[in-house]
Amino acid sequence: MTNDELVEVFERDPELYQWTRRTFLKRTGALVVTASLAEMWAVACGGSTGGTNTATTGKAPVPRKGARIVYTQWNSFVPAGDAEVRRQAQEFGDKFGVEVVVQTITQDDLIAKTAAYVQAGDGPDVISMQYSWPHLYTSACLDVTNEVNILKQRLGAIHPVNDAYTKVNGVYRAVPYTIVMNAWSYRTDYFEKAGVSGFPKTFEDMLTAAGKLAKATGKPIAQTVGHAYGDSLTMWLPVLWAHGGKETDAGGKVTINSPETLKAIDWALRAKAAGEVFHPEWLDPDNNQAYHSDNISATLNGPSIYIKERDTNKKFDKVTDNAVMPGGPKGVFTMNLIFNQAVMKWTKEPETAKAFVLYQMDKDNYLKWMAAAGGYDIGPFAAINNAPVFQSDAKLKAFHDVAYDASNKPIGYWPGWPAPPSKKTSQAQAEYITADMFAKALAGTSPQTAVKEAEDRLRNIWEKP
Amino acid sequence: MSIITRARARSVGLPHKRPNPFDNEAFLGYLLLVPTVLVLSIFLAFPFIYGVVLSTTSTEVGDEVLGRFVALANYLFEMARDGVFRTAFVNTFSYTFYTTIVKFVLGLSMALLLNQVFPAQRFVRAALLLPWIIPSVLSTLAWRWMFDPTFSVINWVMNSGLHLPICHGSTTCVNWLGTPGTAMLAMMIVNIWRGTPFYGIAFLAGLQTIPTDLYEAARVDGATRWRQFLHITLPMLRPVLLVVILLSTILTFADFQLPWVLTRGAPYNSTQLLATWAYTIAIPGNQLSIGAAVSLFLFPVLTVVIGVVLLLLRRPE
Amino acid sequence: MAEAQVPQQVGGAGWLRRRQRGPRGRIEIGDPFLARLFRIYIPVCFFVLVTLFPFYWMLITSIKSDTELLDFNQLPIFVRQPTLKNYEHLFTQTFFPHWALNTAIVAVVSTTISLFCSILAGYSLGRLRFRGANWIGWAIFVTYLVPPTLLFLGMAKLIQVFVLYNNLWSLILTYPTFLIPFCTWLLIGYFKGIPRELEESALVDGATRIQAMVRIAIPLALPGILSAGMFAFTLSWNEYLYSLIFMNDPISKTIPVGVTQDLIRGDEFFWGELMAAALLGSIPVAMLYSFFVDYFVAGMTAGAVKG
Repeated sequence: MTNDELVEVFERDPELYQWTRRTFLKRTGALVVTASLAEMWAVACGGSTGGTNTATTGKAPVPRKGARIVYTQWNSFVPAGDAEVRRQAQEFGDKFGVEVVVQTITQDDLIAKTAAYVQAGDGPDVISMQYSWPHLYTSACLDVTNEVNILKQRLGAIHPVNDAYTKVNGVYRAVPYTIVMNAWSYRTDYFEKAGVSGFPKTFEDMLTAAGKLAKATGKPIAQTVGHAYGDSLTMWLPVLWAHGGKETDAGGKVTINSPETLKAIDWALRAKAAGEVFHPEWLDPDNNQAYHSDNISATLNGPSIYIKERDTNKKFDKVTDNAVMPGGPKGVFTMNLIFNQAVMKWTKEPETAKAFVLYQMDKDNYLKWMAAAGGYDIGPFAAINNAPVFQSDAKLKAFHDVAYDASNKPIGYWPGWPAPPSKKTSQAQAEYITADMFAKALAGTSPQTAVKEAEDRLRNIWEKP
Repeated sequence: MSIITRARARSVGLPHKRPNPFDNEAFLGYLLLVPTVLVLSIFLAFPFIYGVVLSTTSTEVGDEVLGRFVALANYLFEMARDGVFRTAFVNTFSYTFYTTIVKFVLGLSMALLLNQVFPAQRFVRAALLLPWIIPSVLSTLAWRWMFDPTFSVINWVMNSGLHLPICHGSTTCVNWLGTPGTAMLAMMIVNIWRGTPFYGIAFLAGLQTIPTDLYEAARVDGATRWRQFLHITLPMLRPVLLVVILLSTILTFADFQLPWVLTRGAPYNSTQLLATWAYTIAIPGNQLSIGAAVSLFLFPVLTVVIGVVLLLLRRPE
Repeated sequence: MAEAQVPQQVGGAGWLRRRQRGPRGRIEIGDPFLARLFRIYIPVCFFVLVTLFPFYWMLITSIKSDTELLDFNQLPIFVRQPTLKNYEHLFTQTFFPHWALNTAIVAVVSTTISLFCSILAGYSLGRLRFRGANWIGWAIFVTYLVPPTLLFLGMAKLIQVFVLYNNLWSLILTYPTFLIPFCTWLLIGYFKGIPRELEESALVDGATRIQAMVRIAIPLALPGILSAGMFAFTLSWNEYLYSLIFMNDPISKTIPVGVTQDLIRGDEFFWGELMAAALLGSIPVAMLYSFFVDYFVAGMTAGAVKG
């Protein structure tokens, strides 16, 4: 029997294939389902194991006294914020006679650990998932539609980006948790010295500003064009979108090879010529360090630069301000780091775990956490998106404005937009295809070649059989 | 002589010695291997076979069961369509090749030096081993800090300390991690820094088994130091050289921590190695089976290479 | 091929002979100082300088304050206002002492297990004649080809099946997979180097094979065992990936993982503490080597040469 025939047989009779595999690996206890049916199964089974009705709002989950749950999230750059998460976990535990263990993992390692948990089918009860992980690990996440519906009633509408990430095939696989915003931090003193009034509102104005800053101060506007998890695509996808370029269309057809993409690349080349510096080697910490050491006049980053200057460094806090992403011919586009809480299917305490997640999302608790976190993130529901912390510190306004515009309307997109979040969008994101395209062009490769290569790589993902 | 001894022992037939299965060499031989084989087959064979199976299917992380069986399609896909894979493939070879050569030369020089008598010898030996002792994640972080474009102490020394003309009086003279060539070079430097001590110590151990009378005889014959090195030291060291190179080649081929912490494939995948690319595809990219194929790609070739080298090393008994 | 046989003859009693000669190697007489300066002292200084500079840099970084760290207008290779704040932080704000203890426990136990397995396997493959010995030796070596970056997923499954997640045993049992092959290889060579006659005369005197092994061959192989042990200890002290995946509680991590997980927060690196931890974490192993480096070399000798 040739391999093709084998494949055919297995496709005709998936049970047989699964059975052979299962015996081979002695995967006892695993449910027998087919790969092609996996998603259907996930829908059906997730609903029933969750024990909730997906259509209407059911009862709120009740913690079980004596339960013990483990919660894993990233290690944020504001220790006080993490401390508040721990305090609330403790408080929840004391209130309901439950033990909540909080584990924090470095951002870059969290996905490796999560993948291992999912493969092993065991691990923490609640995992704070970033970007599109609920789409990657769908079958490992319980249906939390009921809980999300409860939150919608309490807190209002969900931010569409969190909604797109948490809802997989119409079922919520995670509870929208937070948005860590990305905006520009810049030095007002250098901008003044260079005669630039305020942060540029458009990419074209940015060219002029970059030129003046480089000439007058020697401290350039600088940003990564490398493999930085949180800083790279948040810059380059908006640049691409603002000029009208897109990786794919909404249906997943690769459309990167377009005049609009070339326009975006052309902007990057002109920015470089004007004196803006793009570092292909920078990882997430590098622009922070360059800023704190007075080497650059502006960079795009999460709020960590500003918060560190404001709270601990106190060296350039007076002369630091923040600004939203400039716009291009097609308007203003922003991209932020998204977190959502998934209750894992292996939990023995699904009710307690869900109750804990809801406890975190309680309005008072959430605002307390945001206050402790000093404004590094923003709530993904209408009622918690304009927290007092953004009123008390005017400089944080820009960070608010990249997630919700002036009229408090949610804005922002996800990697892969306009295609909905999926395994394919997250693969393109993980491989930094768009960032690499810009980096190559900036390093001297002809823009056409760089675009062609990005197109090939995207095709490998989207058109793979 | 040993045969005679044993024959005599047998012919004498010591009366108090009953036939004991543990005296049977084959039986005892297999028995003593049991713990090792047990540990390796439980903790290595299963994950390995699992990896091989993965690489022939279309599994993604989080799949409840293995995906479709696709035979060698993942391998062929990578070869035919993935440009980054080809870069990583070439990079892995050049990374391994150049670092091995340099580590070999430096390690041998280090061993020859350490084999001399000089003051503070023990301190120097221990000090030279330090790079190998320190956790590589942390030492590579330190190197990243040293290569940092803004804070490179290396650039600072090159400019302000040594006034090298290539710096043009600027402390940002070499953008170490920012251009493909220098980034690869930086990776190799760290690998060499970390790997040389082991070469040095292993070669030193080899040097110490060479009997001094060989050198004395050579000196009597009027051989120069260089000729002594070429005709005595190198041939005598051959077995240890081969084994160390083999071991180091394998470990360098699979090097993950160092390139991941130092460059993460940037700039634009020009420093991607097979190990880092496999990880990128498999874990953040979620294409578990393709990642498995990438990381197992060289397994058959290397297995044969090892077989040949070990065969060369085996002494005729 | 003739060349290849020479070392084997010599290696037969290699370490015994070296003992008689003393560990220092040969002494050259009548070597003028200037020649030694160029041939030995300058190259040695070069090696030491290049090797130790990163350590110096780590030390300097670990005693700098945050502001000084990022200030390159001053001489970066010196420190103006040294501070022990980073070390203090390490001991008061993190679980560093716990991590050190965990690392030590895991390293000692996994080294012991690996040595136990490798001594038996090394004796078996280096000393006893039976069919398939060469194949098995090859197979043990080939396990190094299995890439850990992907293995960890299968390994994670296994650890879950054995219910060892977040348990130091998960590390103790998995570390031997990358320790045993090298140790075995080293010890095969070592056992080959011990003269057979010693054991055989014991056999003649009525000892069993196992007694001969335990009382004669293993004590004679002690330098090799020590060497293999140090090697194994070093590797398990520094392991990162498995420790990252299998250990969860902040308190139960090992040094490399605990340090990176606690001192890298989002996009902020706590450089001072990171470097302080790197140095402190290396000290125990460095001490071990400074005491035993000569034994380490001596132990590698026979093993390395006999391959």
